[in-house]
This record gives sequence, C-alpha cells and structure tokens, in this order.
Amino acid sequence: MHDFKTLRILDSFQSLFLKFGINYPVMRKILQLKLTMDRRRVPTVFNDFGKKKEDDSNQFIKSLWVYGLIGLILIPFLFITDSYIFSISIFFGILMFILMTSMISDFSQVLLDIRDKNILSSKPVDKRTINAAKIVHISIYMFLLTFTITAIPLIVSLFARGILFFLLLLGQIILVDLLIVVATALLYLLILRFFDGEKLKDIINYVQILLSASIVIGYQVVIRSFGIVDLDIIFDPVWWHIVIPPIWYGALFELLFGGNMSEYFILFSVLACVLPFVSIFIYIKSIPAFERNLEKLTNQSSSKKKGFSPISRWLAKTVCATREERTFYQFARTMMKNERQFKLKVYPSFGFSIIFPFLIILTELGTRSLEEIGQGRTYFSIYLSTLMISTIILMLRYSEYAKGAWIYKAIPIKDTGAIYKGTLKAFMIHLYLPMFTIMSILLMLIFSTNIIWDIIVVWFSSSIHVIICFKMVNGGRMFFAERFEMAQQQDGWLIFASFLPLVGLFGIHFGLSFIDYGTIIYGGILIIINFILWKKVF
Amino acid sequence: MKNLTKDFGSKRVLTGVDLKVHEGEIIGYIGPNGAGKSTTVKIMLGLIDDYFGDVSIFGQDIANGDSTYKRRIGYVPETADLYENLTAKEYITFIGELYGIEPEIVEQKAKKMVQLFGIEDVYHSRISSFSKGMKQKVLIISSLIHNPDLLFLDEPLSGLDANSVMVVKEILAKLAADGKTIFYSSHIMEVVEKISHRIILLADGKLVADGSFEELREKNMEGSLEEIFNQLTGFDKHKAIAEEFVSVVQRDVT
Repeated sequence: MHDFKTLRILDSFQSLFLKFGINYPVMRKILQLKLTMDRRRVPTVFNDFGKKKEDDSNQFIKSLWVYGLIGLILIPFLFITDSYIFSISIFFGILMFILMTSMISDFSQVLLDIRDKNILSSKPVDKRTINAAKIVHISIYMFLLTFTITAIPLIVSLFARGILFFLLLLGQIILVDLLIVVATALLYLLILRFFDGEKLKDIINYVQILLSASIVIGYQVVIRSFGIVDLDIIFDPVWWHIVIPPIWYGALFELLFGGNMSEYFILFSVLACVLPFVSIFIYIKSIPAFERNLEKLTNQSSSKKKGFSPISRWLAKTVCATREERTFYQFARTMMKNERQFKLKVYPSFGFSIIFPFLIILTELGTRSLEEIGQGRTYFSIYLSTLMISTIILMLRYSEYAKGAWIYKAIPIKDTGAIYKGTLKAFMIHLYLPMFTIMSILLMLIFSTNIIWDIIVVWFSSSIHVIICFKMVNGGRMFFAERFEMAQQQDGWLIFASFLPLVGLFGIHFGLSFIDYGTIIYGGILIIINFILWKKVF
Repeated sequence: MKNLTKDFGSKRVLTGVDLKVHEGEIIGYIGPNGAGKSTTVKIMLGLIDDYFGDVSIFGQDIANGDSTYKRRIGYVPETADLYENLTAKEYITFIGELYGIEPEIVEQKAKKMVQLFGIEDVYHSRISSFSKGMKQKVLIISSLIHNPDLLFLDEPLSGLDANSVMVVKEILAKLAADGKTIFYSSHIMEVVEKISHRIILLADGKLVADGSFEELREKNMEGSLEEIFNQLTGFDKHKAIAEEFVSVVQRDVT
C-alpha cells in the first residue's frame, strides 16, 4: 500500500491524538487503507473484467481544480480595505457556503457509514480510534478542498496585505475547517440521540434539506447585514449576528486591523477562536455515544406491512402503458424511497431547488413591494428548481447494492425501454411532482392563479428535460447498477452541459409569454412533443 | 455469560441466557433463524454493547471498555464483509496489523497459509474479483492470522468446495486439540454433529439444550441432530409445508 504524504504530515500531530486517547498507529493504518480504497473503484456488474484499466488515482483530487477556479471570486474581497468586517465576512461566508455544502452532500455518508463495523469493531480497536479515523478521513478531504479554494487568494493576500494578514487569514481558515467538520458531526450526534431506527433515517434526510436551505438563507443574511448607504458600507452589530459564524471571523479582522474595539467585535472574535476547540473537545467526549447511536441506523424496527396504497396503484396504472413498465416504476419507487445513500446525495439538492426561486423574489423585495412583484414575471425563477433533474437522473445510476443488478440480465425483459420509462416516471411522480406542487402553490400565492398556464408549461418542459438528461447524462446505462464510488467527476461537466437545453426551453417560454395566448399554444405544442418523445426515444 | 438479555426496541431477542465455556471445546451453536445466535456472538465481540447481564471472556468483563481481549479472538462473520477493493494480501496484512502483529510476520504467515489454501495465484488480486469460496478462505485466514485462543465461526464452510471443507474441518479439530475454543454456528446439522464436542441449541432467545450429541440423544429420542433439532424446536410439519409449497409453485402464472 501507498504511503501517503498527507499521512506523513499527520504524523507530526501524533502526540495530540495520543493525548485524546486515540491509538494513533492504528488510526493511521485505517486511514492508509481508506485512502488506498478511495483511489480504487469497484468494477460494476456490467463491466467486463480487464476491459477498463484499473486506474489507481483519486477522482476527488482530479476534480479539485474546479474549486480552484471558484476560489478566484474570493480575491476581490481582499482588496476592500475600508471595512474589514464586510470583506472578510463575505469571504468567509462564501468559503463556508462551499465547504458546508460539500460536507453535507459528499461526506455525510462517510460519517454515517457503518458498513465496516463488522470488520473493524471485532478487532482490538476502540471506538474512539475508529471514529477519529472517520473524522480525520473527512478532514483530509476538507483541507484539500479548502486549500485549493483558498491557495490563490492566500498568496494574493500575502503580497497585497502583508505577512500578518496572511498568517491570520490562514489560521482562521484552518479554524473554520475544523469548526465545519466537527459542528456537522455534532449535529448528527444530536439527531442520532433523539431519534430512533426508521424515523431517524427519514429525519436525517430532512435535516439535510433544512441544512442546505439554511446555508443559502444564512448566506443571504450575511450580505443583508450590511446596508450600503452612498456606497459606504455600514455595519451595525446586533445581538443576533452571533448566530452567523462568518461575521465572527470578519470581526476578528476588524478588531486587529481596523482597530474597532466595540464589545460585539471582541465577543465575536473570541467566539471565532474558541468555539472550534470547544466543539472538538465536546465531540471527542461524546464519540462513544455517537458510535453507539449510529447502531440505530441498522436496527430494523419491526417491519410494518407496507404495500402500495390504492391511489398509487391507480397512479401507476395511469402513467405506465405496459405491465413491464409498471413493474419497474414500482421497483424504482421503492429503491428511491429506501436507499439511504441515494437520499443522502439527492435530498440536499431538493433543499436548494426549493430555496433558489424564492431567493430571487427575496432579492427583489429590497426594491419593490410584494404586490409589485406579484405583477411581474419573477415566477420564471421556478426554472431554477428544474436544475435538480440532471443531478438526480445521474444519481439514479447508482446504488449501494449495485450487485443486485444482475437481475436485469437474468430476467427475460422484452422491452428494455420499459425499465427506463418506468424508472423515470417514478422519479417524476414521486420525487419531482411533490416538490413541484409545493413550489407552484407558493408561487401562485404570490403571483395569483393566472400563472397556472405557465406552471403547466414548466411541468411539460421538465418532462422533456428529463428525457434530454437521460440521453445526455445517463447515456442509456442501466439504473441502480453502479456503486456510488463509481461516480465520476467528469459527470459534473455533463450535468453542466445538460443545463443548456433547459436555458433554451426557458428562453422560448419567456419570449412567448409576451404574446397573447403564446403560453397556451406553446403548452399545447409541448404536450405533443412530450407524447412523441416518450413514445419514440426509448 | 450470565443472565444475558438483549432487547431490540421493544422486541426481546435474548432472555436470560447462561453459558459457561471451557478451553479446548468445539461448541456447535445452533438454532432456527432469528433465535439470537448472531446477536450473542456480536455481544461477545463487542459489536453490540447495550445489553443486560454480565459477559466475561478470559476472566475479564467485556463491558469495562478495554478492547484488548479481542486480540485473542478470531471471527468469521456470516456475511462475507470484506474491503473488496483491496487485494487479499493488503486485506490480510491490514487485519493482522490491527491485531498488533508486525507486518513482516503477517506477510510471512499469510503467504504460507494462502499457499496451503491454494489461492496463492490470486493473492495480489482484488477481492472483488474472487469467488465466494475464495473470499471465505481469505476470511478464514484473517481470522486465524494472530493465533487466537477463541474463535467465532459463523457458517465458515459456506461456498467452499468439498476438498477445502475437509481441510477446514481438520484444521478446526486440530486447533481444538491444541486447546483453542471454537464457537461454531451453522445450519448444516451433519457438520455440527460430527465436529462438535458440545451442542448448544438456542430458540426464541432461550437456551433450549446444552450437552454433547450423545447426551442430547439420550434425553430425546434416537436420530440425527437434524431430527433432534426439529423435535426441540417443536417442528414437525416439513412434509406438509413442502407439499403445499410445490403446489403453489405449480399454480398457473398466466
């Protein structure tokens, strides 16, 4: 096995780990193994052996450069000198936003992973060490991610603002990283403590939606805390700013470099420096409880008799033309409902989808009243929530239990199109439609029911987009047939590319909405196109 | 093990199990599905720790938080849980090191054991490409690599071919003769009957029978372990069930 540079760096903190009662050599061993496995991908059922070269390189690291580019937007904030509290708070606001999102959607599953419990816990390794390995494993990736985002801004700050500024910024970034990893873990600990079994699994997904939504809102709050008066940025610290971490970090800079000694700034600065360590301390104390409560995720609370309700049977019959299609519709539905990893990856994007359209409306509220907005066309922001279709259709390819995919080959299926059609319809009805309905109702409350035609048009555009995505992103591969580890980063580009047709659909709709009856006629055309596409494509 | 009780939610899976095991015994640990066999083993391995009652292994209460007793335990789980994207060599070395053995020594031992099991040509391949029997061999090797005094084996022969089965059975007998204790869980009664010194039958979370095969036979009627098992678990409908099952199979499907 490879000896990783990261581990050699970690070695210098050995004594720290030992002090916390962690068996460092064992933890290092586990980490080395996990890092090795991260570099390898398990071949799928459908891949012939030897067909693909076994590549030994970490996909995550390959994808990092995109984050490097994102990091460039942080640079301008380093040059705003008259208000440190503004520039640094925004700087950390953006950074924490990116880090939190990837923590929730990409690393939650590592934290909540219990698959290797049988292997590790039956060996003479204590829980604390196993958990520490998990946290360090996540932290390694988080630090890599942070480093790529902030590397260039940091160098810029060194030359533009001097060594002291640079060092303080670096120190703060490290603290923020620790805070994010540990705070997320603590949050999960709290949830694990109060909920049990089946319910817990659902709750975790809702928490993810809430978290992603609150990150977006939190980010908005940060920006809105600053009033811009005649191009001067005014910031009046108020007590509730205490719940917004980026401001703590801004406060520290304001205190040290801006010389602003207000009580709030001192309080915030102390929080910025102390809280990461306090949370680490609390976390280490509660590791045994965390591991014990994790067990609840495996507990099968007595199996409820679950069948399909008459309504859903009727629904399945109406949307699916053939029996085969219906079978895969029900299959996909249960898979989406029961697969924890799928939900862990997909639910955060739900949160974003619901929030984004309203953010736009919220932004408008700054300049106009709600009634004025109600006259306008901001409801077109609903197109933002259709963006999630691409991600979810990509995710449909994966399953924790991809091994089960042999049934696709072993069972005599007359029409493979039925597999695709059934699955995609299940996605539309059971994942997309509920969210879409909520969105529509909320929008109609603001914009009156006159927009119903537009909403219908959006629905049928989405339906076309589903097929486009399936062709572009999925490329005709079987659903639930690859393990999540197979997820490749170049898929990110495909998803991005699949947004383009959506922009086109939006453009046509928006343009036609200025013409009388344009929307209605367009809707009719879309229905016909839908009819043809769903018939012919598969 | 004294008065061991375990609940899963409101369901009680073990009720007051008392058990004392001596060195050098092969214990056939049997019971119907869901009787609580795996749960007992998991408790003893510290995989589950919220139980009632006392469990002591090697004279040490396992609830005291010290996991060093696991150094003397080997475990073959029922489900072949392995890190499959590692090679056999990497996996066995890793496990050996977790047990606190020097990597060089693990590698030496593993190389020899792999050779004896006839899987040396896949030693450097990833486990994900292995057949069930090959995976089972890797599991058996990694459970024995640290020369444990106590072994928990859950269906250790599953997937092995007839020749390997003979080898493993012989290994177990030899290890027991050398003073190792072996907990052998299986549903294959013929094997349990032949290799066990003592048979423990668990049903509905309770200890139903405990003794050598001969003792069990004396208490109950003549017959094989399978028949005793049926009798003790109060099961005598196998023929009727089979008949009905086949009739369902043959029902019209169109």
